[in-house]
Amino acid sequence: MLHRRIYQFVIVYFLGLTFLFLIKYVLNLSDYVIPSPQEIWHTACRVFARYLLDVMDTVSVAIIGHILSICLATIVGIIGRLTTWVGSFIKVAAYNIQAYPIVAVAPIIFILLGDGLSSRLLIAAMICYFPLLLSFIGILSEPVGHIEHFYDVTERMSWQLQVKIRAFENMNKLTTVIVGSATLAIVGTIVAEFIAASAGIGYSIRIALYQSDLAKILIALFLIGIFTSLYLTCLEWLGYLTRKRWDRN
Amino acid sequence: MIANPKNIILACIAASILAAFSSGGCGKKADKGLEEVTYRLKWLFNISVVGDLYTDVHGIFAYRGLRVTIKEGGPERDAIKELELDHAQFGVASADQVIRALSKGAPVVVIAQLFQANPLQWIYRPEKTRIEGPEDLKGKTIGITYGGNDETIMRALLSKYKIMNNEIRFFSVRYDYTPFYEGEVDLWPIYQNAEGVVIGEKLHKAGEQVSFFNPDKFGIPFVSNSVITTERMLKERPGTIRDFISALLQGWREALDPANKEKAVATIHRFDRDTPIKIIRKQLAATRMLMKPSPEIEIGRIDVEAWKQTERIMLEQKLIPGPVSVEKILGGVHRFRDHRSEIRSRRSEVGDQKSEIRSQKSEVRNQKSDLRPLISDLYSFN
Repeated sequence: MLHRRIYQFVIVYFLGLTFLFLIKYVLNLSDYVIPSPQEIWHTACRVFARYLLDVMDTVSVAIIGHILSICLATIVGIIGRLTTWVGSFIKVAAYNIQAYPIVAVAPIIFILLGDGLSSRLLIAAMICYFPLLLSFIGILSEPVGHIEHFYDVTERMSWQLQVKIRAFENMNKLTTVIVGSATLAIVGTIVAEFIAASAGIGYSIRIALYQSDLAKILIALFLIGIFTSLYLTCLEWLGYLTRKRWDRN
Repeated sequence: MIANPKNIILACIAASILAAFSSGGCGKKADKGLEEVTYRLKWLFNISVVGDLYTDVHGIFAYRGLRVTIKEGGPERDAIKELELDHAQFGVASADQVIRALSKGAPVVVIAQLFQANPLQWIYRPEKTRIEGPEDLKGKTIGITYGGNDETIMRALLSKYKIMNNEIRFFSVRYDYTPFYEGEVDLWPIYQNAEGVVIGEKLHKAGEQVSFFNPDKFGIPFVSNSVITTERMLKERPGTIRDFISALLQGWREALDPANKEKAVATIHRFDRDTPIKIIRKQLAATRMLMKPSPEIEIGRIDVEAWKQTERIMLEQKLIPGPVSVEKILGGVHRFRDHRSEIRSRRSEVGDQKSEIRSQKSEVRNQKSDLRPLISDLYSFN
């Protein structure tokens, strides 16, 4: 699973790179517009170690933010599954807040919380939280009639059991949503770092952009891609283990 | 056929349609007469581009036969890349951008230097932070944009005055000035003529004074915004460059002329609605000082020594892998002036030749007139 994801990413990355080189040599563009393969290689030798640490920093913040938003989405999803006023209010609020672009909200967060870890974490969580929440509410408020009916009739149904049944029956959907939102968490963290933080790969990309250094940006993209693939594979593997364990039980 | 009233009406309609089209056509023709070029600025529309906008709005480009599309810049915009991709024919870039691009083989040429003094300076509160010279920077928190040219300037200054990194604190700067307002940062990098006036005004209202720390005064003359084009344009469309730069510099001269102050202010206010007119007036005065610091300095002049110094700074800080001999691409006003004087000398040469021909002609005429009596004598003899 891991090696497939990695080599698929590498193929996509190098196809993109080839396309860039094609444009460069067909249009006879200088290294300032599109760097040459040698320049990318030299830049990689120079910045690889530093960027590796930056990406690890970013991914660690993204993972924490992702876990926080999964926990929060689960709690709110459980409350929101109720067909009451609270449930519908949460849904509407989630849709509305999701409509705001993070680049408009992020500066306010940075003014209030500074450009440290907390702001990056909050933005990462915010970006992946709302899609997660909407899916969780959808999944947890959808009754699994043929199973729940039995417990309802025998009056053994509790809210914990209801959540378990609905989560178990929709495990594939939940895994897909969590894996999908993981990329959003990484993107959110990078965007936050790009806008205002002073650490992480988003911050390094911003500096490279100021220096008009596309080679550095390409190296950063490569590392982001590799680490995103690793994280997604880990999540898929966790989903697979959970399903297996529940099947056994 | 024509006598038929129906045909007359139809003919009238057709004629009026033709007339309408032809008048429209005339307009287009006039429009087509203008050469279209795109000009990518370095930053958003504000006082730093007053001359550029003035030239366009007051028809100076059109007078020179150009229709110029002026595009706003921004942190993600890079005029040099756009020139190379032919998305623009002229642009504004800072010296560090140009030198970086040169080191990577970009075919860029500088045709005028806009700011003669770098507007990028550091604002501070003199009552709280006393700064007489670079030595006073020790122990202070200095805002810099990592990767930006303010970082390069500040590091060059610190290196020149042998101030170690552990003797000062750097603060990563963004567009939000809160850390400066709150006093968390002592010196904050700004464009003195634009944000400098706005922040100064705000702090003045709060009863605080502001001063500007200018590295140029301490031997770091880092060149700022310049007008650029490509080598291809220089080879293929030298006339367009000459018309463009003549118009642009005329526009800048007019915009900065105190006699046209209100016209210039109105031009900027048309594009920058958020800045009050009172502030724009102050910004214009500050811009005038940076564009023309003394009467003998001509607008658009390229300070070759400052460019060389900028290259040296970038080399010292290893921002470029090797020397680029930046002076070779500094075409500038003087290049076009040379070109013109060449044309002028050629013209005078042609003029001399013409007058020589004229004198020869008159000599021939004189000879003819000398011959005439002889001929008439000859006829009379016959």
